[in-house]
Amino acid sequence: MSRFIERRLAPAEGPIAIATTMGAAILIALVLGGGLFAVFHTNPVTAYMTLFGEAFASLRGFGFSLVKAAPLALIALGTIVAWRSGFGYLGFEGCFVIGATAATAFALATADNGMIGPLPFLVFLPLCILCSLVAGGIWAGAVGLLRARFGGNEVLISLMSNYVGILLVQYLISGPMRAPGGLPQSERLPQETWLPFIISGTRAHAGILIALLAAILVWALLKKTPVGFEMIVTGLNPSAARYGGISTSARILLAAFLAGGLGGIAGMVELLGVQHRLVDGMSGGVGFIGIVVALLARLNPVWVLLTAVLYGGMTVGADAMQRSSGVPSSITFILQSLIVLLVLASELARRYRFRSPFQVALAPSEKA
Amino acid sequence: MDLSLLFGSAFLATWLTASVRLSGPILLAALGETFAERSGILNVGIEGTILFGALASYLACFYTGSPVIGLLAAIALGILSNLFLAFMFVTVRASQVVVGIVFNVLALGVASFVYRVLMGEAASPQPVTMFKPLHLPLLSDLPIIGPILFTQTILLYLTIALTALSAIILFRTKFGLSLRAVGENPKAAEAAGIGVARMRYIGTAISGAAAGMAGGYLMLCEVGLFRDTIVTGQGFIALAVVILGRWNPWKAAIAAFVFGAADALQLSLQLFGAPVPPQLLLSLPYILTILAISGVFGGKAVQPAALMTPYEKA
Repeated sequence: MSRFIERRLAPAEGPIAIATTMGAAILIALVLGGGLFAVFHTNPVTAYMTLFGEAFASLRGFGFSLVKAAPLALIALGTIVAWRSGFGYLGFEGCFVIGATAATAFALATADNGMIGPLPFLVFLPLCILCSLVAGGIWAGAVGLLRARFGGNEVLISLMSNYVGILLVQYLISGPMRAPGGLPQSERLPQETWLPFIISGTRAHAGILIALLAAILVWALLKKTPVGFEMIVTGLNPSAARYGGISTSARILLAAFLAGGLGGIAGMVELLGVQHRLVDGMSGGVGFIGIVVALLARLNPVWVLLTAVLYGGMTVGADAMQRSSGVPSSITFILQSLIVLLVLASELARRYRFRSPFQVALAPSEKA
Repeated sequence: MDLSLLFGSAFLATWLTASVRLSGPILLAALGETFAERSGILNVGIEGTILFGALASYLACFYTGSPVIGLLAAIALGILSNLFLAFMFVTVRASQVVVGIVFNVLALGVASFVYRVLMGEAASPQPVTMFKPLHLPLLSDLPIIGPILFTQTILLYLTIALTALSAIILFRTKFGLSLRAVGENPKAAEAAGIGVARMRYIGTAISGAAAGMAGGYLMLCEVGLFRDTIVTGQGFIALAVVILGRWNPWKAAIAAFVFGAADALQLSLQLFGAPVPPQLLLSLPYILTILAISGVFGGKAVQPAALMTPYEKA
């Protein structure tokens, strides 16, 4: 290669090598992103201090970061369940709005004049979670069925289903579910159905606990149950899985249902915790950022909690900076995607190593 | 409303003319993507490249006033951004779907950032000069197909010419044969002296040029204003068109026309005041795509054997 670096026979996979290259990649992404602040004559270092300070330095700011992190973590968990089972699902924008719609319908039915009538919150919440889980699950499960039954390409089908879901909700809130008034939106949900705040002095709501619980359940499913093991084997090598007696179609269907369900719950959390009514454009790209969050956590359900808080915090910080210094908040999309792209590219660095200057030079024929 | 109006000649003419116009960007993107997929690269980042093309053509046309320069800028930025994608696909050997999806988020961020930095936040959007429809002499006087096919913009005629050119390059040249060999059996191609990495870089770059051009088409023939949401899945639909067209430019043209027609139906029905919710019609192209690629009818498409598989030199 050259005098100073040489190619390894296999990429370095040790924890130190991975941590170093990932750290370097994140640093480079932040330096590149820092150049964008310079456009606004802001010192990048102070800009990052402001950005992360807004998100993590105060209890109030941290509360906002957690609020943004909850739906991201849920979608990332859905990504993990689907992708580790070999189901390349990308339809979380659709699941998110479908789940929110189901939750809206159920919550409105529990209003005083609703179909069901008021329920105690501890009865309402599990039922509402179930509603959005089933709605999102069926939405994604349909794609899983097309893949398992007809061999359709789930990547493209799920991308298309996002548009169908978003248009369906647009139709519902401008037609059947529309509240009287100028804007296309649903009635406001009864206050009894809102998720309670869990940290006083912040907007942090109980949806964060739902995400935490989901992370534990997904971890337990994949690591501790036979079904989870079969799902992972299906993802790693479908023909070996079939040979071992695993019904891969059934596992893919289950993965699709659970992934969509988690995406649906993400929509419910955003609805009951923040919006309190069904509006258009509620997802705002969260279905894709959630996938990015899962990728940064290397599809690990525990690490996802950390990366979701990091990415949620970046959104909070950038929104605050847009208000205070006019830097467009789209800078978060740039930073969030650049970090993952560079982390992926850093795999390249793990294929090489520094050549020791004291090492005896190998004969050309021995070089890998 | 009167049903005879719906199927009257006025409706049909409006609908079919719009169908041809709207299928342009889809077909352009699909032609380029055919080259990428024939070389073994599934480029989901095509949506982001189209957005870059739209932005580049808007800015170049805004500052120079010339849609031709706008189009060239779109092609240039399309190639540039896809060289980056090719680096990720070919050199890094990262998962093509992952890179594509993350690249789309990056493109959205960059395009929206650059537009706001250059054009300001509050300023009212400024339209740019667009390509005017070009009535081809004689041909546009033909009955029925004249007004539908030959009163389009120059970019549509260029797209049809590129379809023919793509078919010739892919199936009648040595370069096309090498490209297809790399997508079917990279090991054998390598043994025959074809540079696998080089061909895949070229395939992805062609996809970038075409996707950038598709963005330019959207901007300079259809919209004329930039907004973050200007690309609404045309790139993803182009991926479906490539599958439906069985990786063949002419068949892709037919598939793209069907999608253009689904899209145009919505516009024309609204224009003629049909009592159908607009969202139902808007979702038609997407539902059509889902049905078409799900394999429910027509059986499974046989894709290039090495599609999505990174190649490691032995």
